[in-house]
Amino acid sequence: MDNACESPTEKGGETGESDETAAAPGSPGITDADGIPEEADGDADGELKEASAEEGELKSQDISDLTAVEREDSSLLTPAAKKLKIDIKEKKEKKQKVDEDEIQKMQILVSSFSEEQLNRYEMYRRSAFPKAAIKRLIQSITGTSVSQNVVIAMSGISKVFVGEVVEEALDVCEKWGEMPPLQPKHMREAVRRLKSKGQIPNSKHKKIIFF
Amino acid sequence: MADEEDPTFEEENEEIGGGAEGGQGKRKRLFSKELRCMVYGFGDDQNPYTESVDVLEDLVIEFVTEMTHKAMSIGRQGRVQVEDIIFLTRKDPGKFARVKDLFTMNEELKRARKAFDEANYDYGS
Repeated sequence: MDNACESPTEKGGETGESDETAAAPGSPGITDADGIPEEADGDADGELKEASAEEGELKSQDISDLTAVEREDSSLLTPAAKKLKIDIKEKKEKKQKVDEDEIQKMQILVSSFSEEQLNRYEMYRRSAFPKAAIKRLIQSITGTSVSQNVVIAMSGISKVFVGEVVEEALDVCEKWGEMPPLQPKHMREAVRRLKSKGQIPNSKHKKIIFF
Repeated sequence: MADEEDPTFEEENEEIGGGAEGGQGKRKRLFSKELRCMVYGFGDDQNPYTESVDVLEDLVIEFVTEMTHKAMSIGRQGRVQVEDIIFLTRKDPGKFARVKDLFTMNEELKRARKAFDEANYDYGS
C-alpha cells in the first residue's frame, strides 16, 4: 500500500495521504509540488469534461477530436485537430516545466524551515476533517446516502474554507493591533468581510438587485 | 439591535447567543481536535481559544449545510453529486482548484492501487 502511494509522487516525506495535500487559497501551485503526472491530469480533465459535456455539441466535438488525436491516426486528423494536438502538447510541456519548477522551489523552501515552521507546515498538510463525521452530517441533511467522492470533496473545500476564515481573521487581528491566539470577535469580523466579498454562501438573505 | 439592518447581523447575534449557552442547541462538538490542529497549521497560536474553535465549528457546519442544500436543489434534485459541488464552487478559485486537485489525486491513487494489485496477482500466480 505504501509503495502504491509513493510511486506516482516524486517527493518522499509527507505524501502518504491523498487529501492532506492542502492548497492555500489563491495559490494552487503548491499542490503541484507532489509531481502529479501529466497523464493523470489529462485523464481527470477528460472526466471532468465528460461530466460537464452532457449538453452542447461543441463539447462532444472536442472530445471526439481529442480521441482522434490520442489515437494518432493522421488520416483521421483534421487541420483543426492537428492544431489542437500541437496546442495540447505545448500546454502539457509548459505545465510539466512549471510543475518541476514549483516542486524544486517547494523543496528548497521546506528544507530551510525552522523547527516551529516545520511543525506548523506538518499540521497544515496533515490536518483534515474526519470523513465519518462529515458523511454523517451530509446524510443527516439529505436523508439519503452520499458517495465517497462527495465526502472527499466536501472535506476538502471545508478545509479551504477554514483557511480563508483564519487568514482573514489573522489580518483583522493584526489590523486591530492585537496578538494571536485569535478571539471570536476576529472570526466574526473575518466572516463579515468574506460575506461582503461573496466567499461565504448564504441562501437565507434574498438579494434585491434593483430597488 | 436594529432589526431593519442587514439580516446577516441577526444571524451572527444568534450565533453569539448560541455560543453563550455552549454551542447551538448544546450539540456535541464534532471537530474539536481536528480544528485545533487545522487552525495551528493555518497560522493561529499552538493553543487556540476554545471559543474561537467553537465559532469555527459552527461556521463549518453552516457551510456544509448550505452547500448540501444548494447541491440538492441543482442538477439531480434531492441528491448531492460531485458535479454539483464542482458547479457550486466555480466562482471561488481557491475551492475550485482544491476540488480539482483532490479528484486528480484520487484518480491517481486508484490507478496506482489497481496497478499494484495487478502486479501482486501476476506475481502470485
